[in-house]
Amino acid sequence: MKRISFTLLAIVTMLGILIACGPTTVTVEVPVEQTVEVPVEQTVEVPVEMTVEVPGEVVEKSILIYNSMHGDPLPREADEELVQMFEEEYPNVDVVHSIVAHEDFKQAIRAYLTASTPPDVMTWFAGNRARFFIDKGLIMDISDVWEQEGWNEDYAKGFRALSSVDDKQYFVPTSWYWWAVYYRPSIFEQYGLEPPQTWDEFLQVCETLKQNGVTPITIGTKYRWTAAAWFDYFNMRVNGPEFHINLMLGTESYTDPRVKTIFTDYWAPLIENEYFIEDAAAYSWQEGLQFMIDGDAAMYLMGDFIRDSFPDELEDDLDFFQFPIIDPSVPIGEDAPTDGYFIAANAQQPEEAKAFLAFLGSVEMQQYFAEKLGRLSTHNEVDISVFSAQQQKGIEMMQTADYVAQFYDRDTTPEMADEGMNGFMEFWDDPVSIDDILARLEQTRQEIFESE
Amino acid sequence: MTRSRILSRLTPYLFLIVPLVIYLIWIIGPTFYTFYLSLTDWDGLSTPNFIGWRNYLKLFRDPVFYTSLKNNLKWVVSFITIPVAAGLALAMALNRNIPGEKIIKASLYSPMVLSLVVGGLMWSWMYHPASGLINSMLRLVGLDVLAQGWLSDKNLVMWAIIIVAIWRQVGYVMVLYLAGLQSIDPSLVDASKVDGASGWQTFQHVIFPLLAPVTVIVVVVSIIDSLRAFDLVSVMTRGGPYNSSSVLANFMYIEAFNNYKMGYGAAIATILFLISLVFIFIYLWRILQTEMEY
Repeated sequence: MKRISFTLLAIVTMLGILIACGPTTVTVEVPVEQTVEVPVEQTVEVPVEMTVEVPGEVVEKSILIYNSMHGDPLPREADEELVQMFEEEYPNVDVVHSIVAHEDFKQAIRAYLTASTPPDVMTWFAGNRARFFIDKGLIMDISDVWEQEGWNEDYAKGFRALSSVDDKQYFVPTSWYWWAVYYRPSIFEQYGLEPPQTWDEFLQVCETLKQNGVTPITIGTKYRWTAAAWFDYFNMRVNGPEFHINLMLGTESYTDPRVKTIFTDYWAPLIENEYFIEDAAAYSWQEGLQFMIDGDAAMYLMGDFIRDSFPDELEDDLDFFQFPIIDPSVPIGEDAPTDGYFIAANAQQPEEAKAFLAFLGSVEMQQYFAEKLGRLSTHNEVDISVFSAQQQKGIEMMQTADYVAQFYDRDTTPEMADEGMNGFMEFWDDPVSIDDILARLEQTRQEIFESE
Repeated sequence: MTRSRILSRLTPYLFLIVPLVIYLIWIIGPTFYTFYLSLTDWDGLSTPNFIGWRNYLKLFRDPVFYTSLKNNLKWVVSFITIPVAAGLALAMALNRNIPGEKIIKASLYSPMVLSLVVGGLMWSWMYHPASGLINSMLRLVGLDVLAQGWLSDKNLVMWAIIIVAIWRQVGYVMVLYLAGLQSIDPSLVDASKVDGASGWQTFQHVIFPLLAPVTVIVVVVSIIDSLRAFDLVSVMTRGGPYNSSSVLANFMYIEAFNNYKMGYGAAIATILFLISLVFIFIYLWRILQTEMEY
């Protein structure tokens, strides 16, 4: 009898396991963090004179679903505040707001978009990654909002172009940021270093730091994209932005000798000289930052959002310089990803969603973002005097750039980016295998871009 | 046949209809649909185009597939040896009334109570190369050379993850064996003692053979557990650095949900399913044979 009951137990367990490992039931665990909805209490002052209070009609509140990927502490706070401000202005709309961790959001968005009741408003990246969904008809045309809000004049042409397909607008670009080499001025000062402008100066700085026991460059490559920034910059500085963007679009080859040069002549020496932090692949980008906060490392090639994660008390000890110029004859390209919002094509509450977008893109909210997060606004009317001297420097850096790229994993297809970033990591571990890696990337490129 | 006899024959099927329908809709249907998807180039958005066996041909040329397969194999081999042996040893040691035996059992089982994600996160911190518990301890006792980038070294990373899985599995196997030991008739053990068998002989010739059904369950569960390994890899490395800790389930997830190649992901899932099926058939076949003996 015992044996039989064991068998039964086993069968039940087996079925459970079988079900759990069945291919179709892999559940995507998306840690959704619901923000607590604070009901806006409206205190109604009833005038004493009023004798008859007609019971007001019960206004049905409409529900607007908003999913965002602003997981870092400060952006999260701003995101929650903006929802509250919107609800105060539109008391009849109840915003159901979910903040989903960045990496998970990127994976979940297709499920959101193809659901029969998708979230109404979502955060996303401007440029190619939005274009992909627009082409599939999954993003709502909001040209009317652009028209009505006067955004065609309020937003710079470049941002309007980023949001448009066939002269229709689908996207509200609300913020952008630059990439640069961030460093600790106090460490530079200690060893008498100046922010380098040329490649030779940069190598000099690295060497001096290393001699003094400071790791020159920190990086956390667990999620790989931090390494892609190095690729973007090497390729743009050495081969020029035009070649870079063509490579991203799949019209240049990864086995082109110009691609190999950047690995063998520029990237490999940094790795071989141990200018990068040890065991970088074990760290997320925030964990990599810790070495810089502790003063064990001096520089980090990162987007301006690095400041959100840098401790307030050290804020004055964080500055940046433009990625050093390698070949002065090459036009200057910079990475400056633009983020924003869109409405799902099947949104259940298109009117409320449009109101929300109009609210987000308004000069008041843009000003709020600029002040709260120090994010660069895309809106022309935003008063930029609120920005610090550092940010003015960044804006100037971007204004003198000849070309603005979005970022490796935004400029090329997700599949190519995945293969590419794996290649960068493999190269990092084993720089001599670069020929094999590039041959594989080229094969992937052909499969992706030539099948289309 | 009288009406009541027909009815009594039908009754079991009537009861089974509901679960069977649910099973068909939620398990069997999607399984076949996944197989169909594996023959398409579905990207999660567009209409799937039928492309025959192209996904499979690509899969069999994909080096990541073989890395993942090898890693699953490492996982299986470690899982059917270390936790099984350790779990059995612990069960034998704790299957008696010694003081604190309950507390020891509970604490050995406690990793199983934690969700895999929590375990993975905890161990990631322990593995932190600069300030994690493991490297700090090694440096403290002067063994700096042994301090490693546990999760960033392509040769170590898979083992570093498997250790976490083993840490979790041992207590589970122990509990299964403890239950099995309870069901052994003490008179058999006593009889072997009367016959003058040594402790080891009793174990070898009496206890272990009687535990055979449990061992089969443990081994099969371990194999299937290692084939569906996903959570720890996903939390600790996402298959990195550059796929060196990828396992099939994780590979499928990355291809389907990160690279949006649903068709390709479905092909990986189908292969994983077929591999699991082999073990499930072996298991069912054994069960049926045992049943015959009764």
